Amino acid sequence: MALNPFFLQGSRSEQDLVQQLINEQLKMYGVEVVYLPRRFVSEKTIIRENVLSKFDESFPIEAYVLSYQGFGGGGDILTKFGIQSKDELRLIISRERYEDYISPFLVDAAGNVKENFKLAIRPKEGDLIYFPLSDTIFEVKFVEHETEFYQLNKLYIYELVCEPFEYEDEIIDTDIDEVDDNFQESGYAVKLTLVGIGQTATAVTSLRSGTVSYITVVNDGYGYKSTPTVAIQAAPSGGINATAVAIMTNRSSSGFSTGYSIDQILITNPGAGYSTPPLVKFIGGSGSGAIATAGISTSNSIGIVTITNPGSKYSIIPTVSFTAAPSGGVTAIGTAVVSAAGTIAQIRITNGGSGYVSVPTITIGNPSGVGTGNFVLNETVTGSASSTTAIVKTWDADTLVLKVNNVTGTFRIGEILVGSATTFTHVGLGSTGRYVISNIERYTDTDVDTFDNFDQNEEIQEAADLILDFSEKNPFGDY
Amino acid sequence: MISNYFYHEIIRKNVIGFGTLFNNIYIKHKDSAGNQKSDLLVPIAYGPIQKFLARIEQQPDLAKKQSISLPRLSFEMKGISYDGSRKGSPIQTFKAVNPSDNTKINKVFMPVPYNLSFELNIISKIQDDALQILEQILPFFQPSFAITIDLVESIGEKKDTPIFLNSISMSDNYEGDYGERRYLMYTLSFTAKTNFFGPVVDNTSALIKKVKVDYFSSTDIKNAKREVRYTITPRALNDYNNDNTTSLAEDIDNKVTKFDVNDATALSKDVYIKIGDENMQIKSVDGNTLTVYRGIDNSVVSSHDIGTSIDVLNVLDDALIELDDDFGFNSDVEFFGDFKTYSPTLGQDV
Repeated sequence: MALNPFFLQGSRSEQDLVQQLINEQLKMYGVEVVYLPRRFVSEKTIIRENVLSKFDESFPIEAYVLSYQGFGGGGDILTKFGIQSKDELRLIISRERYEDYISPFLVDAAGNVKENFKLAIRPKEGDLIYFPLSDTIFEVKFVEHETEFYQLNKLYIYELVCEPFEYEDEIIDTDIDEVDDNFQESGYAVKLTLVGIGQTATAVTSLRSGTVSYITVVNDGYGYKSTPTVAIQAAPSGGINATAVAIMTNRSSSGFSTGYSIDQILITNPGAGYSTPPLVKFIGGSGSGAIATAGISTSNSIGIVTITNPGSKYSIIPTVSFTAAPSGGVTAIGTAVVSAAGTIAQIRITNGGSGYVSVPTITIGNPSGVGTGNFVLNETVTGSASSTTAIVKTWDADTLVLKVNNVTGTFRIGEILVGSATTFTHVGLGSTGRYVISNIERYTDTDVDTFDNFDQNEEIQEAADLILDFSEKNPFGDY
Repeated sequence: MISNYFYHEIIRKNVIGFGTLFNNIYIKHKDSAGNQKSDLLVPIAYGPIQKFLARIEQQPDLAKKQSISLPRLSFEMKGISYDGSRKGSPIQTFKAVNPSDNTKINKVFMPVPYNLSFELNIISKIQDDALQILEQILPFFQPSFAITIDLVESIGEKKDTPIFLNSISMSDNYEGDYGERRYLMYTLSFTAKTNFFGPVVDNTSALIKKVKVDYFSSTDIKNAKREVRYTITPRALNDYNNDNTTSLAEDIDNKVTKFDVNDATALSKDVYIKIGDENMQIKSVDGNTLTVYRGIDNSVVSSHDIGTSIDVLNVLDDALIELDDDFGFNSDVEFFGDFKTYSPTLGQDV
């Protein structure tokens, strides 16, 4: 034995004592920083780069700033690419504290590193640290683990060498406002101007006698692979033939393979002149067994409903109501069909009512649900027609201007943009944002709207419009 | 000695023209399944800036929330050099109608050719971004790409400025200790072949409005007879005197070549007429019925309503052609067998 056997070169209890003294010192003299481990979303294999990252976990931890004389590094410098901060921050964190309070959250129950975190046992290069004193997000450049070299045969601390983060389009979504808002006004954003005011649709009807006022499904049938045609027996001579459509449902909840059944029959034209209930048959659809009966109304029920104004910006089916029938009569019931363009395409009748003395007024609900609610930072918004999604950066409820990044496709003007935040997750939200996109701007569009005040894309464009003659197309974009 | 203030902002215009080539470049980020996750318009700026302006604009509140947002493009002019290979005649002039007074003509002497060297820098966090940007630029420079710049507005001289991509250098500092970040930058060197114009002045000499060419049977013009004289004068394509000579007696569509007018006495074969915006030439006249060639002088053939006035385009209109208007040509051929020549001073053949 080469060493003196009468001395312990660090017993477990001595090592623990040192570690605890260090922890205590850090807790007294440190700064509470937030540790954000990097979640790897996408990587390029051959050229070995992390293309997409997300930072959605956060862990407060005490850290000791090595130099209170200021940041190290090169400070703020003016480069070809604008002002760049080359500050360097060196932080000491406790090894034990990291292993006890951060590592366990990065592994699953089986002890494996959670998906996309790559490494859990130690702080890793590329992770971020929110430094609250300067409200800066630093990126860990290097983790020095052998500083204070093996005191009592053990290492107690990590020294993290950090530099301010170079932001691109990473999502920082920790639910800590001070952290998340750091890049809210950085980098690239698409500016969406939204509108919410849709137009309410209107419709009129008339009174007829001898109409088909309702169709009751007696047996909903089975095995339909497509919607069958509803055939209604023709009206007597001089009458008007009634028409209806079937609404299908999947009772087996296993898709078209086992077939659909008939949910309800909606009347599109109640016809006129029927004196006895007509027969109703189903044609086509490859199913069988469906049976329905029609009921007629001999006195003053509603006729076909004609849309006089299809309205606009309907995203959900509005209510349709008819003025109540006089005592003893039956009030008509209808349902609206919303087209892909957000207009009311048709009013279908579930019950034509009876006993009206005057033509009932039809009231179609407002295009509600659009033009309401708010958006919050890091919320995912989806264009209902293009299925494009994006992440919210800023939202101005007064001007209805929404700035987003991480756009996965191309938003369309006129489509409805729907948020995903709820009052459950965001108290004070009001309601989930739902608006129509009226204008889409990027840097080069009509408004100079940049966060960094670096780019001149728009200014260059405006100046070039005055002096450049580009009859032919510019391959680099539109003039 | 050299006086006469002028400033066409030629370099600034070239800087703008150069910058606008690259102000609409996008990059996309995809996940491992190939779905687009993000797209970014790459910001570009002219690199040089007053230092205090950069600080005031880019760090107004002194907040340092980040180092920098990437990727970015930056460009700057690096030098100017004379290009002797493109030298033109120094006594030739460009002439154009004075935009503020269309009865006057401006002129400027041929420009002096200069090459401007530009540098475009691409900085990015990851190689893949830089490669996306680079790949969207390189194919368009074979090795040059021309933009048309209105260099001197007052003469409307739009010059094609070819921009040559000379070389590309890249630096990818990924080695070394961990105190230094990886630094990824591409530098593309370009040359813009532009022209510097001198002052634009009033043109004092008159415009040439008539050209006569005499052909002789021999190069010995003292002893040879002259044979043919061609005279060319401008022909009006528009009706300037609004003569309303006659009007259409029927509706005509865009296919009819024979139609009636109310009074064809003033019209004859080969006369040019204008109906609406369409120019026609009369092929023959029969009573009040005209047979015409439609859509003469590149005018658009269209239908015309009864009663539309018909204007004759003749010498009266020719005399009223305004500066900068488009015009056609009247040609006249005369045959001689004499020994005379034209004397410009006397204005006649002697």
